[in-house]
Amino acid sequence: MGAADILSFIIFLPAVVAFILMISTTKIEDVRNIAFITTIITLILVMKIYLNFEPKAEMQFVTNIEWISSYGINYYIGVDGFSLTILMLIAILIPTSYLLLWEGRTKGYWLNMLLIQTGVTGTLLSLDIILFYFFWETMLLPVFLIIGIFGSGNKVFSTIKVTIYTMAGSLLMFVAILYLGVSFFNEYGHWSFQYNDLTTLTHLGYNEKLFLFLAFATAFAIKIPIFPFHTWITGTYSDAPTGGVFLLSSIMAKLGVYAVVRFMIPFFPDIFVEFSSWFVFIGVFGMIYFGIAALMQDDIKKMFAYSSASHLSLIAAGVFSLNSYGINGALYLIIAHAIATGGLFLLIGLLHEQTGFKTIKDLGGIAKKAPIFTFMFAIMLFSNVGLPGTNGFVSELLIIFGIYEFNHTMGYISAVTVLVAASFMLWMFQRAILQERVGAPLQMRDLRIKEIVGLVPWVIIIFLMGIYPDPFIDKFEPTVTHYINDILKIGAIK
Amino acid sequence: MIDQLIYLMPIITVLIGAIVLMFQSMYDEKYSIKDFILVSSLFLIIALGFAIYHFGDLFTTRPFNDIFNNVIIFDTFANFFNIALLSGGLLIILIGEYYAKEHSYFRGEFYCILLFSLFGMMLLAHANELITAYIALEIASFSVYILVGFDTENSKRVEAIFKYLVLGSFIGAFFLLGTVLIYGATGTTNISEISQFINSNPNEKLLLVYIGVAMILFTFLFKIAAFPFQSWVLDVYRGAPILVTAFMASVFKIAIFSFFLRAILSDFITLNTFWENALIVITVITLAIGSWLAITQDIVKRMLAGSSIVHTGYMLLGIIALGQNIESAYSIMFYLIAYLLSALGAFGLVSHVIADTKVRITYDDFKGLGQERPYLAALMTIFMFSLAGIPSTIGFIAKFYVFTEAINAGYAYLAVFAIIATAISIYYYFRLIAMMYFYPSFADANVSKSSDARISTFMIGFVALLVIWGGIGSAIGFFFPIPSIDAILDVVELSVQSLFIK
Repeated sequence: MGAADILSFIIFLPAVVAFILMISTTKIEDVRNIAFITTIITLILVMKIYLNFEPKAEMQFVTNIEWISSYGINYYIGVDGFSLTILMLIAILIPTSYLLLWEGRTKGYWLNMLLIQTGVTGTLLSLDIILFYFFWETMLLPVFLIIGIFGSGNKVFSTIKVTIYTMAGSLLMFVAILYLGVSFFNEYGHWSFQYNDLTTLTHLGYNEKLFLFLAFATAFAIKIPIFPFHTWITGTYSDAPTGGVFLLSSIMAKLGVYAVVRFMIPFFPDIFVEFSSWFVFIGVFGMIYFGIAALMQDDIKKMFAYSSASHLSLIAAGVFSLNSYGINGALYLIIAHAIATGGLFLLIGLLHEQTGFKTIKDLGGIAKKAPIFTFMFAIMLFSNVGLPGTNGFVSELLIIFGIYEFNHTMGYISAVTVLVAASFMLWMFQRAILQERVGAPLQMRDLRIKEIVGLVPWVIIIFLMGIYPDPFIDKFEPTVTHYINDILKIGAIK
Repeated sequence: MIDQLIYLMPIITVLIGAIVLMFQSMYDEKYSIKDFILVSSLFLIIALGFAIYHFGDLFTTRPFNDIFNNVIIFDTFANFFNIALLSGGLLIILIGEYYAKEHSYFRGEFYCILLFSLFGMMLLAHANELITAYIALEIASFSVYILVGFDTENSKRVEAIFKYLVLGSFIGAFFLLGTVLIYGATGTTNISEISQFINSNPNEKLLLVYIGVAMILFTFLFKIAAFPFQSWVLDVYRGAPILVTAFMASVFKIAIFSFFLRAILSDFITLNTFWENALIVITVITLAIGSWLAITQDIVKRMLAGSSIVHTGYMLLGIIALGQNIESAYSIMFYLIAYLLSALGAFGLVSHVIADTKVRITYDDFKGLGQERPYLAALMTIFMFSLAGIPSTIGFIAKFYVFTEAINAGYAYLAVFAIIATAISIYYYFRLIAMMYFYPSFADANVSKSSDARISTFMIGFVALLVIWGGIGSAIGFFFPIPSIDAILDVVELSVQSLFIK
């Protein structure tokens, strides 16, 4: 196995293991253990790539094999600073999340978790846009099954809704992708769907570009979600099982942002620059809107869904702010938010399973029963609201700088809104966890060693990234600089 | 002599097979249904062997031309469709093995008539002349009329057969009328000679040809169930035995396309401006009506029937694109193969489930199948994904080709419309998956479960493998050396080229 094949191995190992487990009749404990070992192997391989990665702007570990040669579609994968960081994030989050989901799952649950991992890593690493679309759609199917089978409440409706919502968006993008491919064919006389080829298109008219841009933007805005394409999140997040919510919020939503940077910026730099102020505005507006919506929620899962959407709007605003602060900060917040939200959703999942409640008014008195749980919860919460010393602080600060540089008023507004987010989160924490419960105390065990082991790396990362961010930023900074200097500047001149 | 005979062998074998089965079915009580399945599939396999003998060659010949006088033609194009039709027929027979055993009305005549209709369809693929095409079409159609009425247990069958017979014969008259008009204008009914006439004459002289083409187009649209001739589909598909429904939706459609693609490509392509606008409207409405019909159904079989109209719409999109770019013919042919596999799998699986449980008919009846029969449910999921065009199945690649060619021909807005229909289709396909997996089973736990290890399930599994292979192709080529889906495209390209060999 050469160095380049490691990426393919990372992508397909979980799926292959899942298929083998599917046809075998292994015991459920063994299924879980094998799945866990698989993710650990993936983690080790990703570590190897992370260490061997040179901090440069170009693609590394590239594999480029013909797939459908008559249409120039290639199996083309590779990693740059931007995707590497998210790859590392996924590789760390998934095995540790397994530790928190350890007990009481069925075989199908673990198989779907493995399949989702293949979907998300494939989406992240593909550089041919048809291949990207391939993984982008495929990753939805295990999500569909995991919510529908293992969810609660009005799960079937939620599942169908989220599927049709996201599928409709991506199908629109599909037409745009085909249009790009056809334009490339008409301009150069041969087919190609590789992202670096498609950036060289010159014959597209302004209106064509605008429509294509909007098609891509819709697909990614639904996934992220950006206002007003957010209506699927509350139902889905509240009905989905813990593992599903965790993957949706902390990994798949980030892939929407990633795709904006990977494809939309290089394809349409001029449109991107032209409309950036709109998107920053929508981002900041969404942040406020979702913040207020979160304040109103009694269901903690729904509250986190909105707060997550609020943060993602901030990330989107950062991406569209067109400067180094904003984009670096957005990338940083992707990691910080993935860890914090992922942790919070997993902990809420535990809480829900133990006590049977997930609404604030029914909870209370958790701190006494489960001090370690409360401690972990607090750390995740602090990182989520961006308390100094945590990685959330660094990233929110960077983004607010970025937005400020883009537009002073927006900067002020976003700085104030971050406070709103802090307030409702802490208020929830106080009511649901710390305050004594009215009525009988709830049954709640504290975290087990396994779960603590799972969470400790996250806590370390939270503080390490919050106190000493340089080594992390160094890995992706060249890529971001490349984007800003080589692509956005060109777009601005056009 | 012999080498000429080889070209004729597939079609002759099917005809002999049909006649043998006819005599065999005279002694119905002597033979079980298994024997009929064996004999008919044996003949089809032999015919398939003869057809594959020329697989990959580029040729156009007219064997025994002094007898046939240029009315039938043997080329790579026809051979491609022969292989598709024969494999489709074979798969229908084998997948339906269980269903046929469980229903007493399946007797020897069924297979005899099925082979006769296949004979007609193959003849249609070879037809190089309008009258011959009409005769072939009617051989195929009349056989199918009988097949539709086979289900004596179904009270809807009289409606189905009567509707289809009357409307089908009526529309067949249009084909004849169109042929007569074209003959009046050009003095010939031979396809290559018509194209010479069209190319060498100014537009004013072509009025009768235009009207004639419009008439023939009516027949085409009726047979593939496009708007405004779609109204028969649901009732006929409902009343027919499900195997016949599958046969009509996939195999018969391929046969229809085989002739009309040939006629359009070698003849009428220069007239495309004439039908373009009409076809655009027809395509849009076909997609809309098909989606509407499919959404509103509660019976899975009817949903599949409604959705087959939507798939017809996608293929019409390819036909429209033909005018601007000949390569969209490849995409239509690929789509036909993709739809053949996915629809056969889906219909076949439903037939298997119905045969097994006798009750699984509506969406609700499929609740809990994922727990009871995990493998069947997984296979069904694969076919639903393929029909919905989800990546990693052949349906996705087929949609990719059709939409790419449509956009390449400059019909991006039509592609957007088709993609909306696709988004809607996700609802009715995924609903079935949701039923299978998201609800607990309603059936008693102590219902005796028959084994799933039988020919029909193995064939369905085989089709599912093909569906997956078609979608992934050589993407996993660095793990296992398997041929790419490019291979199919190359074959298709070769077939279309053979049309233009003079």
